[in-house]
Amino acid sequence: MDAFLQGLTLVFNFQTLLVIAAAAIFGVFVGAVPGLTATMAVALLVPITFYMDPTPAIAAIVTTSAMAIFAGDIPGTYLNIPGTPASAAYVGESHQLARQGRARETLGTNLVCSIFGGLFGTLVLVFVSPSLAEVALKFSSFEYFWLALLGLSCSIFISIGSKTKAFLSLLVGLLLSTVGLDMMSGAPRFTFGIPDLMAGVNFIPVMIGMFALNELMMFYGSSNEGRNVPAVHKDKVFGSVPQHLKRYWRNLLRGSSTGTLIGALPGAGADIAAWISYAMGKSRSKNRDAYGTGHIEGIVDASSANNSGISGAWVPALVFGIPGDSITAIVIGVLYMKGMNPGPTIFMEGGGLVYALFTVFFIANLIMLPIGYIAIRSAKVFILTPRKVLMPIILCFCIVGAFAINNAITDVWIMLIIGLVAFILARNDFPMAPAILGLVLGGTLENNFMSSMLKSNGDLLSFFSRPISAGLGIMVILIWLLPLFVRLYRRYCGASRDQSPRTP
Amino acid sequence: MKDFMLGLAFMAAGAIVYVVAQGFPTMPSLQYGPSLFPSLIGGGFMIGGLILAISHGGALKGIAHGIAWRPAPERMRNLLLSLLPALAIVFYILASEWLGTMLCLAVIMFVMMLARRTSPILALGISIVAALVIDLVFSRYLLIPLPEGLLSLWG
Repeated sequence: MDAFLQGLTLVFNFQTLLVIAAAAIFGVFVGAVPGLTATMAVALLVPITFYMDPTPAIAAIVTTSAMAIFAGDIPGTYLNIPGTPASAAYVGESHQLARQGRARETLGTNLVCSIFGGLFGTLVLVFVSPSLAEVALKFSSFEYFWLALLGLSCSIFISIGSKTKAFLSLLVGLLLSTVGLDMMSGAPRFTFGIPDLMAGVNFIPVMIGMFALNELMMFYGSSNEGRNVPAVHKDKVFGSVPQHLKRYWRNLLRGSSTGTLIGALPGAGADIAAWISYAMGKSRSKNRDAYGTGHIEGIVDASSANNSGISGAWVPALVFGIPGDSITAIVIGVLYMKGMNPGPTIFMEGGGLVYALFTVFFIANLIMLPIGYIAIRSAKVFILTPRKVLMPIILCFCIVGAFAINNAITDVWIMLIIGLVAFILARNDFPMAPAILGLVLGGTLENNFMSSMLKSNGDLLSFFSRPISAGLGIMVILIWLLPLFVRLYRRYCGASRDQSPRTP
Repeated sequence: MKDFMLGLAFMAAGAIVYVVAQGFPTMPSLQYGPSLFPSLIGGGFMIGGLILAISHGGALKGIAHGIAWRPAPERMRNLLLSLLPALAIVFYILASEWLGTMLCLAVIMFVMMLARRTSPILALGISIVAALVIDLVFSRYLLIPLPEGLLSLWG
């Protein structure tokens, strides 16, 4: 009890609360500017946290990441550009809704789902973290290989339009992930003698190029200035939320729990949580055809999942010192700097610090309600600012943002080249999201395949020799065979319908 | 027509990736070397490109009948305009070292706003303010070493 009270006093003081409020506003800003990701926000915060005590430092990171993941939905809804990759899964859906004049309603639902997801993930973090992390710890390279393949397969099969194009788009991303030094042999691949490419293609310039630059080029290529969103808001932010929550409470719970679980698995973060939850929601929905045309159901699933994933990622990070995603990878570094060694001992030696951290999670998610509300109300800035003025400013943010990752002009080149390729592909109806997922998961996929092969002396059947691995493997195979089954089923149904009139 | 050409382009890219991947060194102890994944990706490009090309093979007939693909002048103009952001980035890459980030960004924003017929005074004002803010946030607060260029002479 003493430790708990000590934890509360660490959080409820002027300095920490001020840091939380400032971090929330910073998170909204970074999340809402396309091309700046939650990970980048956290990375940019690290130098500032040098000058802080452990509790406000962690509070700043937790609040910024939660806020940025939500705020990523704002440009996604209004401009069809996801603010962070975690919003990419349902950006089409929310933009369609905005075009119907339901932008605020969509964002209000997003906000409440994000808060619910975040709190759900926090409760899991507080109560179930040790046992959950144990399950994730049992995973070896075999399971991670299948998990990565599962995420990639989902990205193809939940895409709208030609699956061949989605497949090719995914391969573009996978190809980008192979650039750099090979993990096993150290051989350089596709580096063309450029030293900056030795460490691989950085994810953030690619994301800026694919989503932001491509969108900018589309804008300049079209002669209409027309705003896609009506500027007059008749919908209320929270007006329809109770109705949506009542209708889709199962999706909310499913999205939150899936998100937490995926977030807790190392290597899989908020973006993959959103993708998988969206795909799960779609496959289990009664209104499957409504997906892609502006359907709030998919948003409920995915937006609760990405925020719960952020909290879930802390489970293995705190308990075992294994980062659940790229944000917690940075966090682990900060924890060490602050003398809080992540691992089981943190619960024994940390005293009030652990309780302070848990409290911070609750506050960070609750503060999202007022600040998120203000952000949605002032999101008008995005639509009332004419796009002819907004787009050049976004371009400048993109240039400086891409440069800021490594302070290298190579990243600006990468953004440019990827943007041009993405422009050609997107103009011809290639989906962009599989490519981003391919880039993110390509390394995980290849490294886990290689280390599995080293362990099993090249025996491919070993991928099915462990129960969880076999289960995941069968899931992947089923996903790939599903379209075939569906086609056969339809043909069968069609054949029986054709025959039925002939029968007397 | 476009999908057919893209299919062919993917097939060619796949072939190049596959050939380059064969040149990656392998280690005798490793059964699967660094060339495995790139080779699979190259193969995937070729198969996917082939499927794309075949499913839009009708375009070949158009070529056979001598119908040349010639874009309308307006489409050509739009295509050139869509390259404007890309040109702006090239300008930044080439000029930022001596002009400095702040001036570069201001020029880029000003020109791009004019291209979409924003009033020149408004464009000039917004460009200068936005360039100042972006440069200040990134170089002063986030401590990113953006090139100062000409403005550094002022101290």
